[in-house]
Amino acid sequence: MGLEFLARVRRTSTWLGGVVALMAATYVRPMLGLAFAAGVLWSLVNLQLLERLVVSLVGEKRGTPTNVRRLAVALLGMPVLFGAGWVLLELLSPTALLAGFLLPLAVIVAKAGTQVLLGSRAWRALLTHRFRAAFAALALAVATWFALGALTNAGSATPTPEHAATTTPSGPTARDAQAAPGEASHDATAEPGEANDNEKEQGFANVIGLIVGANPHAAWAHFLEHWEVLVFSIFIALLLLVMAFVASRNPQLVPSGFQNGVELVVEGLSNFIISIIGPKQGPRFVPFLGTLFVYILSMNLFGLIPFMHSPTASLNVTVALALTVFVYVQFIGFKELGPLGWLDHMLGSPRDLTGWLLAPLMLPIHILGELAKPISLSCRLLGIIFGKDMLLVAFATLGVTMLPFKQLPFGVPMHAIFFPLALLGSALQALVFTVLSSIYILLMLPHEHHDEHGHEGDAQHAH
Amino acid sequence: MDLHAALSLGLPIGIGIAAIGSGIGLGLIGQGAMQAIGRQPEATGKIQLAMIIIAALAEALTIYAFVTMFLLQGKI
Repeated sequence: MGLEFLARVRRTSTWLGGVVALMAATYVRPMLGLAFAAGVLWSLVNLQLLERLVVSLVGEKRGTPTNVRRLAVALLGMPVLFGAGWVLLELLSPTALLAGFLLPLAVIVAKAGTQVLLGSRAWRALLTHRFRAAFAALALAVATWFALGALTNAGSATPTPEHAATTTPSGPTARDAQAAPGEASHDATAEPGEANDNEKEQGFANVIGLIVGANPHAAWAHFLEHWEVLVFSIFIALLLLVMAFVASRNPQLVPSGFQNGVELVVEGLSNFIISIIGPKQGPRFVPFLGTLFVYILSMNLFGLIPFMHSPTASLNVTVALALTVFVYVQFIGFKELGPLGWLDHMLGSPRDLTGWLLAPLMLPIHILGELAKPISLSCRLLGIIFGKDMLLVAFATLGVTMLPFKQLPFGVPMHAIFFPLALLGSALQALVFTVLSSIYILLMLPHEHHDEHGHEGDAQHAH
Repeated sequence: MDLHAALSLGLPIGIGIAAIGSGIGLGLIGQGAMQAIGRQPEATGKIQLAMIIIAALAEALTIYAFVTMFLLQGKI
């Protein structure tokens, strides 16, 4: 029990406070979550200042100039902190602030209690045998189950303000009622069954939804909500940009860490695309196709981060990506084959009488085929990613509703089973998009079969 | 039979039929690829690439039905 203990308390409280604040912001009201987070932050800063005071007064290095300066900062920080606490109390809901303030103290008590328990003789006796330990864990789980049921039943029988604030998993009703000040303004526990059926918007809550919920009358919030998909995709693009910049800012000859990982990805993609298009023409298209892969993969996986949203689950983004590929492929065809060569390609490259006779038939088929490519690309990506999101939402809803006491703000994470499937589907669709794009490019290029046969012949001769 | 009843009956059945078709197709593709890999293990990379492309094409048919369902779902 020393400073290390306090550091652990700080870490645990930060994580716990963040999670609880996000849950409160999602399920109850955004301002309530903000108040809770502010309370936790205030309490943590308070603890930190107290720790500094104590350390600089009784620590080993007391009296040194740096220590005196730290002591002065801590002493001056205290009034500032209390002033900030007073302002917060005026602005935000006091109950949530108090709950947030008490959280680190509760963490300290729980940690100290656990340390005492872990050192006790009864605990060690319990752990000596495997079956005894398993039985104890089972008993604990059963006791928790019944205790939670009894607690929530008691809560719904006599709804106190705290219960109404913490155990109401209803987003829209809370958002409708948030115009009225105070936290006990609505008694949502009166209709517990409708809590999750009320969810009108499909999908998980995301950051922009929360922002709009916090500012329901601001014009910019509605602008954000309307262009939600674009905001997320541009944000991901910027994120990738920053990552690329950081990785290549200080290039080393022998890479390590982040640069190593990025180089692994780039090299793998480069080899893969060159293996499809061919060693002569391939390197030209690596930047475009590799960017496509990385960007689509990031967008697909972004929906798995809590409070984020997959932009590729919207038709707008997938059609934009597919149109980019379509225009690029036609541009490559024009540039490499020339206008006449492109027309020749569209006519099915007629070289003899039969070819010329079939040419009027081949032209519409080729044009339709070219037009079908972007449709097929965009619909495939949209279907998989949208379906993935819907599957996760459906099973998350099932996990919440399968508990007998629905007032709980949490449920069984049923959708976690499908995370591997979601990861696999996201990666596979990004790969398929890239492979199909490179094959469309390959089909437009003048064929380089002669080179390949020559190489193979050389290899066989070498054998 | 009004539009709602027809849609709510037809959409799931349509998806099921599409899934049967592309399921058969995917099975055949997988079988062919596995046999080819078994005969020529050194060509595994090329075969897998072709298999993924063709599997994506076959799988797309079900996804078209799926997208159609989501487009029409609002009318139920």
